[in-house]
Amino acid sequence: MADHVAAPEIDKVLVSIIGRALKAFTDEMSISMEKTTRSPILCEAKDFVTGLYDAEGRMLEQTENLPILSFSLGPVCAHIAEKFAGNVYPGDVFLHNDVFSLGNQNNDVAAFKPIFVGEDLVGWSATKGHQADIGGNVRGGYNPNATEVWQEGLRIPAVKVYERGELRRDVWDLIFANVRLDIVQEDMRAEIGACTVGERRLMALVEKYGLERFEAHKEYLFEATRKMMEAEIRAIPDGVYEGEGRVFFDGKNVGSSYTIRVKITVAGDHITFDYSDTDAQTDAFVNGIYASSASATLLTFLQMVNPDIPHNHGMIQPIDIIIPEGTILNAAYPAATTFGNHLCPPNADSIMRALAPVIPTRVTAGWNNLLCSLTSGDDPRKNDTFVDIMFMGLKGGSGAMCDTDGYDHIGMIDASGGLLDQDYEMFEQQTPHLLLKHEFLTDSAGAGEHRGGLGVETRYRIGSDDTQLVTFGDGDEEPAFGLAGGTDGTLNKIELHYPDGRVYKTTSKDLVESVPRDTLYIQEAGGGGGYGDPHKRPAAKVLAEVRDGVVSIGAARDTYGVAIDAATLEIDEGETAKLRGSR
Amino acid sequence: MAYKLGVDVGGTFTDFFLWSADGTVSTSKTLSTPSDPSIGVLDGIRQIAADQGTDFTSFASQITTIVHGTTVTTNATLTRNGAKTGLLTTKGVRDALEMRRGIREEQYNNRFTNVVPLVPRHLRAPVAGRLDYQGDEVEPLDLDDVQAAVRLFAGEQVEAVAICFMNSFANQSHEDVAAEIVRRELPDAFLSVSSEVLPTIRFYNRVSTTVLNSYIGPILHSYLESLTSKLEAAGFGGVLLIMQSNGGVALPELAMRRPATTLLSGPAGGPGAAVAHTRAHGSDDCIVVDMGGTSFDASLVRDGEAAMYQESEIDRLRIALPMLAITTIGAGGGSIGWIDEGGLLRMGPQSAGADPGPASYGRGGDLPTCTDANVVLGYLDPEFFAGGAMPLESDQASKAVARHIAEPLGLSVEEAAAGMYRVINTNMAHGVREITVERGLDPRDFPLVVAGGAGSLHACMIARELEIPSLLVPATASVLCAAGMVLSDLQHDFVRSYVSRFGELDMDRLAELVATMTAEGDTQLGLEGIDPKRVEHLIDLDLRYVKQYHEVTVPVAAQAIAAGDLTTIAEAFHREHDRLYGYNLADEGTELELINVRVRSVGRTDKPELPTLKPGGEDPGGALKGTRRAYVPESDAFADVAVYDGHRIEPNNVIAGPALIERVDTTILVSSSFTARVDDHGSCLLRANGG
Repeated sequence: MADHVAAPEIDKVLVSIIGRALKAFTDEMSISMEKTTRSPILCEAKDFVTGLYDAEGRMLEQTENLPILSFSLGPVCAHIAEKFAGNVYPGDVFLHNDVFSLGNQNNDVAAFKPIFVGEDLVGWSATKGHQADIGGNVRGGYNPNATEVWQEGLRIPAVKVYERGELRRDVWDLIFANVRLDIVQEDMRAEIGACTVGERRLMALVEKYGLERFEAHKEYLFEATRKMMEAEIRAIPDGVYEGEGRVFFDGKNVGSSYTIRVKITVAGDHITFDYSDTDAQTDAFVNGIYASSASATLLTFLQMVNPDIPHNHGMIQPIDIIIPEGTILNAAYPAATTFGNHLCPPNADSIMRALAPVIPTRVTAGWNNLLCSLTSGDDPRKNDTFVDIMFMGLKGGSGAMCDTDGYDHIGMIDASGGLLDQDYEMFEQQTPHLLLKHEFLTDSAGAGEHRGGLGVETRYRIGSDDTQLVTFGDGDEEPAFGLAGGTDGTLNKIELHYPDGRVYKTTSKDLVESVPRDTLYIQEAGGGGGYGDPHKRPAAKVLAEVRDGVVSIGAARDTYGVAIDAATLEIDEGETAKLRGSR
Repeated sequence: MAYKLGVDVGGTFTDFFLWSADGTVSTSKTLSTPSDPSIGVLDGIRQIAADQGTDFTSFASQITTIVHGTTVTTNATLTRNGAKTGLLTTKGVRDALEMRRGIREEQYNNRFTNVVPLVPRHLRAPVAGRLDYQGDEVEPLDLDDVQAAVRLFAGEQVEAVAICFMNSFANQSHEDVAAEIVRRELPDAFLSVSSEVLPTIRFYNRVSTTVLNSYIGPILHSYLESLTSKLEAAGFGGVLLIMQSNGGVALPELAMRRPATTLLSGPAGGPGAAVAHTRAHGSDDCIVVDMGGTSFDASLVRDGEAAMYQESEIDRLRIALPMLAITTIGAGGGSIGWIDEGGLLRMGPQSAGADPGPASYGRGGDLPTCTDANVVLGYLDPEFFAGGAMPLESDQASKAVARHIAEPLGLSVEEAAAGMYRVINTNMAHGVREITVERGLDPRDFPLVVAGGAGSLHACMIARELEIPSLLVPATASVLCAAGMVLSDLQHDFVRSYVSRFGELDMDRLAELVATMTAEGDTQLGLEGIDPKRVEHLIDLDLRYVKQYHEVTVPVAAQAIAAGDLTTIAEAFHREHDRLYGYNLADEGTELELINVRVRSVGRTDKPELPTLKPGGEDPGGALKGTRRAYVPESDAFADVAVYDGHRIEPNNVIAGPALIERVDTTILVSSSFTARVDDHGSCLLRANGG
């Protein structure tokens, strides 16, 4: 063994124990957020992340309910430490959302607490959640007409709102005087509360084992995790792999489209994602920012490796992500960027396409892209305002794998099933709308030996006059792609059927004012792409899905080559053999 | 002589706890008979009769009460062997059951698939007809749709039907009409109606719970019929009571009305038995840990009441009936140790089960398990395992630990086994943290009660990890749940949704809801023959701040509701919110909102006393069997450790750690930082030295 000078001896078992404890702590922070927040975006849909970081901002562990928010909290800890050098004390709390200093989206407001043991800064606890409002021109934050950050919302560069446990009322009031909804203040208190939970736990852990011992074992944990990730990367053949994903309509320029281009270089135990050839930024709000784009890259790649790898600094060490400023994935100041998180799906597409030929057993076919809507207005039943994000409507299917069907109604890849539907009856309590339909959409899944996940159809009757509807997303021009002979999923769509008979199909980034009561809202979230030749799918599986009504008899015949008698719902073996033999 | 018998049917063993009118108790186990568990129950009773030296029929006729916990409904759910079930539901939302609100629990695992729904889509029949959020009719019920569904179900030969319509918590008339038709047309099908099973808001919770209820209904029915007829034939003329997931017991015919209340019937006896033991030491609180072959259950008792969840999950299926808060993790004697890609040691959740079992069982298993580590560490005497009935092969244990753990990590076999022991203890400690810390409770305030065959070797270290100063290993530890059943009260839970802001709350309506549920409770307890003087009704309200999504359940006095005293109720809510989440909004003037009204009707039963043993002195020397080389965790080294016979220790014996106390069904490690004292009931109370 190499000589160590006075380094504490590593107890490998203690490394395991510390790793497990850190995970339990961030989970506990997450539960605290879920139970105390009020915005359904946070407490129902869990659009937030909690994490612990070391004194340098290196990730110790995270609970990533919405992974797109996850991988920039550490660098912001370092940014705060630098900005407030010599001025960070126990009991301090910092808030931050600024997209031009590593924030995700203006609405994604983060809280940070430094953690001290005695005199020593030992780490940070942080929580970031999508707040229901952050000022700006449009309630809820999605302003498809924005061209600069100031039209989108309030910028909060790192500011200190508590110093040594004392609230800085002036700073706090300045922030919340610029936010429409009172619940945002409460939900920020909940974020700070969750940070306190993490702070207490980490302090107790470090005190128990001693700082020096904790630090040494933490480094070992990073090392062990790095080795796990390196082993995963080594299993990918060395080489340079390229892929593309497309973005349609920037919210301003009709017919516009942009291309994300990734060049992935695998060299031994290291992997680099280089986006230098990606299209330039837009003059609208469809722009990414480094934090959200790099998170998108990571969360996609993490789906191709062992899901048991701990989420700490060691995990990301063997990974480089290059996104030049001025591209659509990393827009330069002072661009509008609210849409940035939603560039994850096309970014994921580019990575899946690049790696599909190399590691076919680890990629998925295309996932349904997000298309979301948000309604707000006055609830005539209660004389109160309502804001609702149509979570249940946006969740389409995931892409299939070489040996597994896609997951039905999971939603976009940025959340991967971490974002939940509203409960139907709570939806009718909290909004004036009446839900008419929320069901799997027949034939929405891309066909294949393994089919894509199913999409859904949602219909509700709008219950208030003068409702404002905002849409944001994509996937209404290009469906989720199939792989290895699998077919594409279906497109996204949102339509308004007005009481006077008029039908309006929204764009993917729309702002519709004054929607009258009794308008019918219809949304389709498409299915995921299929994998492999549909003719290889066992006929019995196709029959079962026909019986369940998620595949039509026509699609069974035309796409899967399975002939099913409509009257008896039985397979016509002879006809099926003919259909399947004809290829 | 009169007897009371607790019977706990588990996956591997059926446990018995017998209380005799002369105050003595005895415990026993037989192998379970999964195809018809009632066979194992009768086998066990026959064996007890033989042990008592009595004839079977005369013994059976002397049993006044049998309290029975069963995993038949749990297993039917886990293995998907329930009844073929059809669902009648509102047109447009028939997939809610399968969607589970769109969750994928493992976000980064694209091979993680959804749960197979208990009712396939083609048996989820849509019915037109709609009520709004207040229960007002928007569209009348389409009777043709109901008839069509009934024809479909008849053709498909469904055995059970569930009915769940949108907003039926506010108005059950549509469900009543549909139920009437189903009862008439499909008289043999087991029927569950959501407004009867769970009349509360949240559609997914309701449809999932109602379907589960139907799915396991016929299973519970036929099992209980088979059991009662066998018991009757054997001469049993006493009362049979069924353990429910809420920790209370009920007559079989009442349990059968809501079979979903039996899903945790097996482990539900634990907390009651545990607190009976800690009460003898002056504490109404405890943490109960039960470590068996594959899993580790942790639950909690506060102020004498077992902690409950109003909603939870079984195999990722939502159930929104009150159930004991039991956290289960994959840690048991069979948990397998392995090295992950980063070279870190892990334990479980995979288990070697009973077959092939741990390497030391010598049944072909070659992976190192927790039991194997315990053999290497000297904790288990290979010759005395299961009282010598099942000797262990220590060579196999060492070999497995060496090959899979020690060699890859560059450790000695003993170091590797010690590592396995520490890692699994940490996992279990985190399980305990989940039911305490994550609910805002400090585990250090609770004595730890240890149950299950494997638990008592690990309990000291779990306690140390959590800084719990005292732990109790009951003499009946290995059959604790069966013992707890005999101590349980009759109990029935009722709930109704009444969604209203406090400002608009109609106190008369609230009082009426409480009165209706209380009357139901009186009726059911009356059927069970309980003296009205021993009946108690406990009222809870589910409250939240306006615009919050999650409710806090707050106990409320009946007088507060009768007097319309909203101030007292609000104060109780603010206090509870603060305790759970660290803040309240009492000073901000935020309005409160009522969501659900709950009534728990309890009929207090006679509890047998724990038997008291003849006291001995402090010196345990009479029980000393010898010494054995074993691992002492505190010093991370092996030492010669005293071994005592657990069947010969006497009240007042004091045993200083490190020591091992061996019983036929369990071995207790008193580690070096603890001292054990045998109490009047033969249980071992372990206290941290200096604590």
